[in-house]
Amino acid sequence: MACNEIWVVARIRDGQITQAGLQLVGAARELAKEKGLDARAVLLGCDRAAADDLSGIVDKVLWLNDERLNEYDAAVYAGALLGLMEARGKPVAIFAGTNDMDSEVIPRLAAMCGAAFASSCVKIGWEGDDLAIRRPIYGGKVYEELAILSRPAMVTVRPGAFDGAQKLAAPGSVEEISVEVPASSGVTVVERASSAQGGQDISDARRVVAGGRGVSGELYRMVEALADTLDGAIAASRALVDAGERPHGQQVGKSGKTISPDLYIACGISGAIHHVLGMNTSKVVVAVNSDPDALIFAAADLGMVGDAKEILPALAEAIRARK
Amino acid sequence: MSLKIAVLVKQVPDHEAIVQIDADGTLDIEDRYVCSFFDEIAVEAALDIRKANADAEILALSVGGKRSVESLRRAMAMGIDQVEQLGDDSMDGADGLAVASLVAARLKTFNPDLVLAGKQAGDDDMGAVGPMVSGLMGMPLVNAATSIDVDADGGKVRMTHSMNAETWTVESGFPIVITAQKGLAEPHVPVVMRVMKAMRAKITNTSIEDLGVPASDSTGRLKRLGYYSPPTRPQVQMVSDVNELVAVLAQRGVI
Ligand SMILES: Cc1cc2nc3c(=O)[nH]c(=O)nc-3n(C[C@H](O)[C@H](O)[C@H](O)COP(=O)(O)OP(=O)(O)OC[C@H]3O[C@@H](n4cnc5c(N)ncnc54)[C@H](O)[C@@H]3O)c2cc1C
Repeated sequence: MACNEIWVVARIRDGQITQAGLQLVGAARELAKEKGLDARAVLLGCDRAAADDLSGIVDKVLWLNDERLNEYDAAVYAGALLGLMEARGKPVAIFAGTNDMDSEVIPRLAAMCGAAFASSCVKIGWEGDDLAIRRPIYGGKVYEELAILSRPAMVTVRPGAFDGAQKLAAPGSVEEISVEVPASSGVTVVERASSAQGGQDISDARRVVAGGRGVSGELYRMVEALADTLDGAIAASRALVDAGERPHGQQVGKSGKTISPDLYIACGISGAIHHVLGMNTSKVVVAVNSDPDALIFAAADLGMVGDAKEILPALAEAIRARK
Repeated sequence: MSLKIAVLVKQVPDHEAIVQIDADGTLDIEDRYVCSFFDEIAVEAALDIRKANADAEILALSVGGKRSVESLRRAMAMGIDQVEQLGDDSMDGADGLAVASLVAARLKTFNPDLVLAGKQAGDDDMGAVGPMVSGLMGMPLVNAATSIDVDADGGKVRMTHSMNAETWTVESGFPIVITAQKGLAEPHVPVVMRVMKAMRAKITNTSIEDLGVPASDSTGRLKRLGYYSPPTRPQVQMVSDVNELVAVLAQRGVI
């Protein structure tokens, strides 16, 4: 059984649809329209406000209003989505984010329904009636384009690939659906600690100031101060995470997070490909580095050569002056 | 209880190998292959677990042709005694589901308590195989773990991993699939003696037929349309004054 829909797995954080979630809905609406399909947001768990919010940007919300889905469990979420497929038919495609949860749920689900999976898509279009996606491989040295022939086409999409969905003129509907929900996989959460260390989550921040080895130790304070001025989040290169100065949750790059803020300011970061891959879909990138030949300038829109110690406080001051 | 651990490894181009697109649209990959970065971390994590559980049995598996044998030799050199190649070069370039299906078939007879894999391979960076094995085996999954603490007698394992804005400490019974993130373990460079020994070792192969799974048919699921160069940004605009920088940022609407 199949249905003519594209599903977006909606992620809600602090009662709000994430930036990445808005973009996924935007992508689904655009691609559905081209083929006469319907875009749907799938919401797991009993969050009525979120269901209503989602209905502002998509014609129909498929709401799995079940308390067993209130807490995240990869196996339970994958099982519930499989249940939804059984109840409603296999959609043409399922879009999810490159976040830590969907990176578990979506490939697991793909295996359960014998379908292919593609991660980190930066571009999605159609190749005939198949989804065609573009994604980085070999650590970002090249990109591949794949057509996904199996159904549903299951992809995780990198933030920044699409514009966020605009509000609909008339809100859509919310359809409550009950499905088979499997028992817990037996993974229990013992402790949840904020890895932003009091700061914002870098995955969803509009402005991010990142520091590398060039601003280690006391100098990192200036990164924090600049981020404060911008009401943004702080991030780091692996050099600072490996040195134990910053938590892993703040690491940008191949072995950290992939982010796509409106503004990314890289301070004292050399611009290794492993780092760049985690931020190169940001809208505007600024690099501050004392080495005029640093690779980071090739990944930046705007660059300033000089000592971060002098530039960062001056920059913060200039931003404050403008406000 | 004696623990059984399976570790999944793959041979991929070194992260510094040159990869470029040829005039005919195919990929030209410099011939410098290594055991994938996150897979070596998984191997080391398995060895760490054995340090505290001396009777633990570790089996390293790699799917594919000649290259996969090289990653198994590396795992051996690092200290794993049992290694096995699954399938043959018809599996090179197969998709995650085809690979996971062979692995799952082998695991059904090995019956592991823990399955360790890298969180993604250094070639396709897909992050598919670990989660897919968990789906096929119906085992719980913890992706991108930064620590693993095994309590073999208690029959449970405690892990930490990043979950969006948080770091979660989670606990599970066996069996479970865990993928390795940077920080989980520090792969050591094997001593020459072991490297030599691993080079001479005969590597067991189990064929696709023996595994009893239908031949890989990823071509029915994924079709490669082409390769592209990474997107480039327009030439960087260098500024020498913070006020000028702020003016441009304001004009771009990002502050
Ligand atoms: C498989 C793999 C995965 C990896 N994953 C990641 C990842 O996820 N994230 C990541 O970041 N890295 C990752 N790396 C590491 C990456 O290759 C680099 O080693 C790392 O990004 C370097 O960090 P850095 O730029 O802070 O330090 P460095 O390369 O040491 O650069 C420091 C920079 O600061 C500048 N500087 C020094 N002093 C000042 C000053 N006073 N003012 C201004 N500038 C100054 C220097 O000119 C230099 O450019 C990975 C590597 C591998 C092999």
